[in-house]
Amino acid sequence: MSKLDSLSRRQFVAGFGGTLAAVAGLGLVGCGGSGNSESGSDAASVSGTVNCSGATSFQKLVESAATKFEDAYPDVTVAITGGGSGQGLSDVKDGKAQIGRSDVFAEEKLEAADAAKLTDNTVAVVGMGPIVNSSVDVDGLTTEQLKGIFTGAITDWSEVGGTAGKIQVIERKAGSGTRATFEAAVLAGEKAPDTFAPVAEEDSSGTVVEKIQATEGSISYLAFSYFDDTKFKALKVDGVEPTAENVCSGDFNIWAYEHMYTAADADEATQAFIDFMLSDEVQGSLVEEEGFIPVSDMKVSKDADGKVSSK
Amino acid sequence: MAKQLLPKRRLENVGLGLTGACVALVAVIVVTLIVMVAQQGLSAFFVDGIDFGAFITGTSWVPSDGKYGALPLIVTSFGVMVLSTLFTLPVALGSAIFVVEVRPGFGRKVFQPLVELLVGIPSVVYGLIGLTVVNAAMRAVFGDAAGTGAGILSGAIVLAVMILPTVTTLSIDALAAVPNQYREGSYALGCTRWQTVWHVVLKSALPSLMTAVILGMTRAFGETLAVQMVIGGVEKIMPAGLLSPAATLTTALTSGFANATTGSVQYHALWALGLLLMGMSLFFILIIHLIGSKGAKDRG
Repeated sequence: MSKLDSLSRRQFVAGFGGTLAAVAGLGLVGCGGSGNSESGSDAASVSGTVNCSGATSFQKLVESAATKFEDAYPDVTVAITGGGSGQGLSDVKDGKAQIGRSDVFAEEKLEAADAAKLTDNTVAVVGMGPIVNSSVDVDGLTTEQLKGIFTGAITDWSEVGGTAGKIQVIERKAGSGTRATFEAAVLAGEKAPDTFAPVAEEDSSGTVVEKIQATEGSISYLAFSYFDDTKFKALKVDGVEPTAENVCSGDFNIWAYEHMYTAADADEATQAFIDFMLSDEVQGSLVEEEGFIPVSDMKVSKDADGKVSSK
Repeated sequence: MAKQLLPKRRLENVGLGLTGACVALVAVIVVTLIVMVAQQGLSAFFVDGIDFGAFITGTSWVPSDGKYGALPLIVTSFGVMVLSTLFTLPVALGSAIFVVEVRPGFGRKVFQPLVELLVGIPSVVYGLIGLTVVNAAMRAVFGDAAGTGAGILSGAIVLAVMILPTVTTLSIDALAAVPNQYREGSYALGCTRWQTVWHVVLKSALPSLMTAVILGMTRAFGETLAVQMVIGGVEKIMPAGLLSPAATLTTALTSGFANATTGSVQYHALWALGLLLMGMSLFFILIIHLIGSKGAKDRG
C-alpha cells in the first residue's frame, strides 16, 4: 500500500500534475536532488544541489542571494522554485526539497510531530499594511474600523470619514501568508461571518495591485515591498505610518517572519546556504534592498501563536 | 525482387507487438490515473471523515476552518459552462450555416482558418484580455454592483470565446457531412433554402451537432487558468447572481494546492474535487458515445 502510494504520487506529479502545474503557472514539481558534500567546510570543498521551493513572497530575495552564494561556492547549485508556503513545507517534510520557504510558522500548517522535525530559520521580517484605491479620500483607519470593514460590518466609506461610496473588499486567498498575517493582527482571533463575501479573492499580490488600481473604492492589504504611491495609497493604522522603522520599534504590528525551513539533519551545502542567508552580506544590504526588514533590527519578536514580546 | 529481411510471419508478430504495446501503455496510464485520483480523493471521506453528503451539499468552502462544502464550486462550474454554451451556440451555428450552405468559397478559405486561429491562442492570453477588457467592461456597465468586474458573467464571456472555435469547427463538419442528395431532394420538392437548412440539414446533422456542443461544454467545464483570472475566486459562499465573484471546481483546485500540505485533510479534499471533475468528464464522454451510437442507429 505504501509503495503504491509513493509510486502513484510520483506518477501524478510527472503526468497529470505536470499539466496542472503548466496550466497554473505554479512550480508544483518538487525535485529530488540532494547534496553530496564531503567533509571539510571551506567553500571550495562544498558541493551539491540545494532545492528550495515554497512561498513566492520573498522568492526574489532568495534568488538574489543565491546568485551571490553561487559565486562564492562554485560547486553548489541552488534550484529555486515557487508553489506557495504549503508546497514548500510539504516538500521539505517529504524530503523533496532541502529548503522550504514559508510565510507562516510550520506549526500552523503541519502536524505538530512533522513540524518538530524541521529547523526554523527566520531570514527576514516583512511588514504589511492596508491599501486603498487612489480615489479613496481616507488616509488612515483604526484597527477597529479595519476589523469592521473586513468582517462586513462597515460597508460604506462615509462610515469611516470618507466620501460616500461602497467599500469593495479585495482579499487574498484563504491560506495565503499575507492574509493570515493581516487577519491575525487586525481581526485578533475573530472570524468574518460566512455571509460576508469580498468582491474578489486573489491568488497573488501582483493581481491585488492590478485590481486595487482598477477598482474604485477598493481596499486590500499588501507587503511593504509591493507599496507604490503612484499606483495606490497605503493607509496609516491607528495613526502609525506603515514603515520599516515602526515595525522594528513594535509600533506597527502587522508583520511576519519569512521562514526557510530545513530538515534537522541538513546537508553541508544546505547549511552553507542558510548560513549565507543569515550572514551580514545578505542581512546588511540585500534584505533592505528587496523591501524586507533584517531580523536583527527588530526590537520585538513574535512566536508561533502570534504573541508579541519585546526582546 | 527485394529480399525480405524478415519472414512474413515474424514481421506480422513484430507489428502486433509494437502496436499492442502502445495500446497497453495507454491503458496502463488511464487506469493508473483513475486509481490514483480515486485513492487520494476517496481518502477525504474514508480516512479524514468528511461526510460525502455534506461535501456535495455544503454551501461554504473554507478549508482553513474545516468547511468542505463544494456546492458553490459545483454550481459555478455548471453555471459558467451552460452560460458560455448559450452565448456560443447561436454564433457557432450561424457561422456554420453560412460556411456550408451560403458561401462555401469564402467560408472555407477565409473564415474557417480564422476561427481555427482562435484554438491556438494560449488560455493565459484569453485570461489577460478578460482581466483588462471584460472586467473593465463589467465595471463600466454595472458600476458598483460589479465590484472589481470579476464574476460568473465575466467568466462565461471569456469561456464563450474560448469554446467558439471548437463548437464552430465541429458544427461545420457536422453540416458538411449531410449528404447532398438530401438537399437536392428538398429543393426538388420546392422548398426554399431556409426551409432546406432548417428542416433537412440541421435535423439530420443533429446528433453530430450535439456532440459539438457537448465537446464545447467539456472544454468550458475543464478550463482553468483563463477563468481563474476573471472570476474573482470567492469560494466561501454561494454566488448570489451573475455578477457575484465565485470559483469553479478547477480554479479552487489550482489555487488550493499552493496552500495545502501533502497528506492534510485539505489536500485530500482537493483530490476529492479532482475526482468529482473526472467523474463529470467521464459522464460527458459517455453521453457523446450514447449520442453517437443512437445517431448511427437512426441512420441505419
